[in-house]
Amino acid sequence: MIRTENLTKHYGKLHALNDLNLEIGKGKVFGFIGPNGAGKSTTMMILSTLLGPTSGRAYVAGYDVIKEPKDVRQVLGYMPDFFGVYDNLKATEYLDFYAGAYNIPHSKRSNLIADLLELVNLSNKADAYVDSLSRGMKQRLGLARCLVHSPEVLILDEPASGLDPRARIEMREILKKLRSMGKTIIISSHILPELAELCDDIGVIEKGNLIACGSVDEVSVETRGIAVMQLKTLDKLEETERILAASPLVKRLDNKGSHFRFHFTGNDSDKAGLLMKLVQEGIPVLHFGDSKENLEDVFLAITEGVGN
Amino acid sequence: MTDFFTNPLIVKEMRERFRTPKTFWILGLYLLVMGAILLGFIFIQQMNSYISPGDNSELFVMLAVIQYGMICFIAPALSAGAISGERERQTLNILLTTHLSPAKIIMSKIVTSLAFIFLLVVTSLPLYSFVILYGGISPTQLLLLLLFFSVNIICFGSIGLFCSTWMKRTGVSTITAYGLSFFLVVGTGLVFIFLGMLIQQMYPEVYVDETVWNLLGIKLLAGMNPPYVLSEILGENIGPKLDWFMPVWAYFSIIYGVLSLILIAGSAYLLRPVRRTWFAWKK
Repeated sequence: MIRTENLTKHYGKLHALNDLNLEIGKGKVFGFIGPNGAGKSTTMMILSTLLGPTSGRAYVAGYDVIKEPKDVRQVLGYMPDFFGVYDNLKATEYLDFYAGAYNIPHSKRSNLIADLLELVNLSNKADAYVDSLSRGMKQRLGLARCLVHSPEVLILDEPASGLDPRARIEMREILKKLRSMGKTIIISSHILPELAELCDDIGVIEKGNLIACGSVDEVSVETRGIAVMQLKTLDKLEETERILAASPLVKRLDNKGSHFRFHFTGNDSDKAGLLMKLVQEGIPVLHFGDSKENLEDVFLAITEGVGN
Repeated sequence: MTDFFTNPLIVKEMRERFRTPKTFWILGLYLLVMGAILLGFIFIQQMNSYISPGDNSELFVMLAVIQYGMICFIAPALSAGAISGERERQTLNILLTTHLSPAKIIMSKIVTSLAFIFLLVVTSLPLYSFVILYGGISPTQLLLLLLFFSVNIICFGSIGLFCSTWMKRTGVSTITAYGLSFFLVVGTGLVFIFLGMLIQQMYPEVYVDETVWNLLGIKLLAGMNPPYVLSEILGENIGPKLDWFMPVWAYFSIIYGVLSLILIAGSAYLLRPVRRTWFAWKK
């Protein structure tokens, strides 16, 4: 559904993107991870026909973003990381404007707008002025705006940035609904754990280079040989810490008080070996497994030293 | 054409502008001030002088000059934030990913930016009826004045719009638009006088008396100067008498019309997100 071939973008001497090759299948959710200035937004803007690449090609639903921008815009909904809203417009008028901008006939608009507001849980704010909505609501309205022309592909640049935890959870639920509707979604976020749950694949980008790409597990374990693990014990914390610290496969041991988190560089049998050793030493293990919220660590681990 | 005027951008902009009470206050205040000035002068004239109907176009001239000053002041500013404002509000990128083409966006923006000033001019037309009561002007002059105002509004609006597309910030774009408009209103006149006098001084034996002002180049420059054209329409002569090959208002309208078209086309080109690199302009 989305393909880039050696996509490169230079701003003068700054290399924002270097030979990016991506392939995202239909109906997949692809998470883009990278620090600020890594090239995520540049990639998304090129795919959204807002920026021309210095070299390379990009295709959305088979259309070339440079040669066929109109066709690309028809199949694509783009939500930038920061976007404004128009003063003095009500939520329905705001969506009506964009529906008009996508040439949707008047007769179909009212039902469409009602459905979209329902999808993003803003039905009760239909007649509220956009300016009066909270940041989370504006963000959801922005998402509804992307969906006005029922695009197959959604490009969402940091959709959860600046949202409070509740708004973030609401946004995540909507994204799950969109995934179940079969939309192909590219999403970037610095709230990395959210991507772990949502995405089929992730791409880690740093200084314009794609460092890792694949499923969350592949990126964290198989490709890089790194897993972030969590260990919870009933007591004997000091002894546990000593055993873990002594293991050559354990890195970045972090005592969180109630549990330990650490990077583990071994394979599955090494993990089993470590657990066995802990049990043999009489440690009352409550939980031993991969940390579900470990993308930040994976990200930090695999981008370590890049660009230095 | 109907499609164009019902395009979503025009509907939205009109909705935004005319929904606020501010718009109506400005309109009311403008008419009040213009009316007060006019009635004040009528009152003073009645007190101090003998009025001869059919021979008194002072009020007409005064009203036209005040209104022209207002156009020069408002028209560039109204459109100078049209695109840069969208950019500052961070809505431009979203707009560019819709089916609205850059040309359509630009055309809609010029129509909606200038709709308000056209409204000001049209609503002030009844004020001219007072002036007509006193005679001294013909309906043709009034129509020509309206045409002259329209051409100026469109041209200054196009300058504002071009600057707004070209520059990132509304503040910078407004100042630049004022600068360029100032050049057209005052600069062209100064260049005209300077060049005429220079040529006359350089070749005093060739250009005796006023002949230098009728040189084609010099004359064409004079025809591009709005105050000169306005004075011709009003029947008040400022500057040397020139022999024109066509009505000066027609020449002026063609030149400013073409300039407006070039600026609008340039704006549409600059607004394209991906432009040909050999003629790229930093946005």
